[in-house]
Amino acid sequence: MRLIVVKRVKTSNMYYIGIPILSILVGLAISILIFASIGVPPDLFVGGIISGFQSPQTLRYFALLVMLGVALTLSFRASIWNVGAEGQMIWGMLAGGYIALFVAAQSMYVSPSELPNYASMPGVEIIDASPYAPVISVLLMDPSLGKLLMILFGMLAGGLWALIPAVLKAYLDVDEVATTLILNYVAYQLFNHLVSYNLRGLSVQAKQFFRTDRINSALFFNLIPGTSVTIQEVVMAAIFFVGVILMYKYTTIGLRLKIIGSNPQLLRSVGVDERRYILLAMFLSGMLAGAAGVSIFANLGVGKLEKIANVVSPPTMNLGYTAILVSWLSMLDTRLIPIYAYVVASLFQGSSILQSEINLLFPELSLTGAALTYIPIGSILIVYVVLRVLTDYSIRIRR
Amino acid sequence: MSIQSFFPSKRDELSVLSPIISVRNLWKSFPGVVALKNVSLDIFPGEIHAILGENGAGKSTLLKILYGIYVPDKGELFFEGKKVVLTSPQDAVKNGLVLVSQVPQLVDSLTIAENLSLSLRQFSYVSSVKKVSKFLLEKGREYGVRIDPDIEAWKLSYTQKQLVEILRALLLNARVIAFDEATTLLPHAEKERLYEFMKLFKSKGGTILLVTHKIPEAMEVSDRITILRRGEVVGTVKTGETTIDQVRYMMFGERLTQLNSGEYERLYKKDSEVLVVKDLWVRSDYGVYAVRGVSFSVRRGEIFGIAGVAGNGQLELIQALAGLRRVEKGSIYLRYNGNEINITNKGSMLIRRLGIGYIPDEPVKKGVSLDNTIEENIAVHPKLSKFLINWRGIKNLASNLVKEFNIVTPSTSTRAKVLSGGNLMKVLVARELTVSKLALVAYNPTRGLDEVSTRYVRKLIVNKAANEGMCAVIASEDLDEIIEISDVIAVMNSGSIVGIFKSGANREEIERVMVS
Repeated sequence: MRLIVVKRVKTSNMYYIGIPILSILVGLAISILIFASIGVPPDLFVGGIISGFQSPQTLRYFALLVMLGVALTLSFRASIWNVGAEGQMIWGMLAGGYIALFVAAQSMYVSPSELPNYASMPGVEIIDASPYAPVISVLLMDPSLGKLLMILFGMLAGGLWALIPAVLKAYLDVDEVATTLILNYVAYQLFNHLVSYNLRGLSVQAKQFFRTDRINSALFFNLIPGTSVTIQEVVMAAIFFVGVILMYKYTTIGLRLKIIGSNPQLLRSVGVDERRYILLAMFLSGMLAGAAGVSIFANLGVGKLEKIANVVSPPTMNLGYTAILVSWLSMLDTRLIPIYAYVVASLFQGSSILQSEINLLFPELSLTGAALTYIPIGSILIVYVVLRVLTDYSIRIRR
Repeated sequence: MSIQSFFPSKRDELSVLSPIISVRNLWKSFPGVVALKNVSLDIFPGEIHAILGENGAGKSTLLKILYGIYVPDKGELFFEGKKVVLTSPQDAVKNGLVLVSQVPQLVDSLTIAENLSLSLRQFSYVSSVKKVSKFLLEKGREYGVRIDPDIEAWKLSYTQKQLVEILRALLLNARVIAFDEATTLLPHAEKERLYEFMKLFKSKGGTILLVTHKIPEAMEVSDRITILRRGEVVGTVKTGETTIDQVRYMMFGERLTQLNSGEYERLYKKDSEVLVVKDLWVRSDYGVYAVRGVSFSVRRGEIFGIAGVAGNGQLELIQALAGLRRVEKGSIYLRYNGNEINITNKGSMLIRRLGIGYIPDEPVKKGVSLDNTIEENIAVHPKLSKFLINWRGIKNLASNLVKEFNIVTPSTSTRAKVLSGGNLMKVLVARELTVSKLALVAYNPTRGLDEVSTRYVRKLIVNKAANEGMCAVIASEDLDEIIEISDVIAVMNSGSIVGIFKSGANREEIERVMVS
């Protein structure tokens, strides 16, 4: 008797649905074991995960993960492995931040004695009421226009950052997995430099810590009441999702982006320069990631750019990596992204709830940082990668 | 699995030997296509056994099963009477079967001896480069194959690479050598040499399995022929006791009538020049000039054939015309409707949009995408879809082409990888002929097609030229093809056109210019 591995001619539909689900279940089972081994009872774990599926905060991760999932699928389907969404988000934040802090509004010192005059002036907001050097933020344009510019420039910056590895790949054949990953850390460092010097704020807090001023509150994206998700995030996620599906279905650009993933030589032989489509795939992918970056930045909970003290916890919340899981579980099928974005968002949120509960209940474990948050996500990812083989190969027994 | 299948029922009564390879009741299906239907077959030691069939008949599938690449859905394999389960080519090699493929698999930057020692390591017979070198020289002498073991693979010609593959088979102690269309692309003289090798190998007790879609090839050298049609064995005949007509009938059945279509019609009045090439200089991949000052012009409705021994600049010329290779010097003009457009280095997109179709070398690798559907493979062409894709129009076009070209496929929304090589080629040719409003540029347009399909493609090209005034520049390594379809034959040698012949020219005369 022998076990033989046979390549499938066609991906089985059952596996198409079954493998992601099985990966999630087995990944969670493994996580339970890991948590149990450090003394966390399974019921606490399950409770934490379940609460993630109901938490209003989950909606926010959901919207962001849809954007990022679509962004990554755009490049993955073209066989371009963009793991640089983190860096592209960082540039989205920086560009959006620059618009919010210097173009759409401007912070400035005022004399302490005049400060009360500004309190009720329209378009002016007191950022820092320090008695020595108070700072106000003055709106320079209509805030809706300002928000639009933040998004547009954020997307542009994300797209341009993604073009660096794209050009290297298209014209010099440099592997994009390495370059996009490395450029994430380059982006973190540049971010630190820019917020510590060029974009550093005027307020006392900004001077004490390395950070920008808080943006004028008129420029915050509009929260949906009762949640921490903004209208802009939801609208963008919906537009990207529908737009990309339509693009794949009805346009030659979409078709070519698909074909570049299966046979770029065909593009060349029918007269299409496939290198331009490598650039396009990465530019679009980076743009969408940039939009996600701006969204994180312009949320009421953030509103400022702060030096990254530890690259393990950047302001992007590592969603650029987490979205890889969303894209893979969807089997690179754009239509399935919302489903898995929701699942992963819930797991992500559930894990952070779990983390705080564990820290509270078991202080002796003294687990800090985001370490625990990534155990379920990571376990699922590993199981998925192993099981994924089954979609392309079947294992048979022969006598 | 029935008990019965363990006892091979049908034996060749004429043979006293027991078969070296037995195939029993083999089934293999791919989505929408049953590639092999209950195939049984015996191959005896010391024979040259041809497996003949048109594209999609299941030859390649059968061979891949014998070589451990595919696992059958049902059925059994016996090597020397022993039941075997093959799951990789290594299994097949251990049982004494070695495949010489159509595309030699060699690492360009390594020497022959290094290449072979690499592929032998997993069998641990002989593996040191020195030993391989010595063995190569020995076996080469024995079989009259002269090859320098220390030359790098990229310096070899196609034929030489093929010889290396054969030496590899000998090195692996092959008792059965299978040729997968391996002789299709060889020039006539080289083919003869290969046949001699086969006979020599046979005389030393070896067995040859010759998989081909060309009847003359099967007739020329084999002892027996097994004919496959649409996945089924039609029959096995002794070559000496059969005729070409009988084999043809077995191979094509009722479709045979399509072969006897007679002469091509050449109605179109060839008047104005469409494609004008002036003093063209193009470099090869290695940076040297492969095309050296070529000038010619092609008129409406004219087929301009380029003959020559492979590697004399035809490929580079064709690629330059398609806009895929930089023109260093000289120019290419397109004239139509009273306009003249200089298309030199203007980008291949513009050239396609103007209505120039292109059939690339290695067509199945470069001209279709296996993971995409037939419809997508058609819609990708910039002449057929602008920004938005009209899927209804593409679907109609695709199903018309499937009907017209007799493409065997479950549907037009089937992924191309399910199709056989010949049918893939038809999809490509069908698409390119559709977009060739002004001209078709092609390299080996019928490579890998069976006789009926080849005739059909040639006829379509000639008809389109004759009826719609399309002009064509066609380079082919197959001189018969060039002679058959061209109005004007140009012979390329060392990057230049060294002779121009009208259709109906003397074949020997053309061959003489090709090699002088």
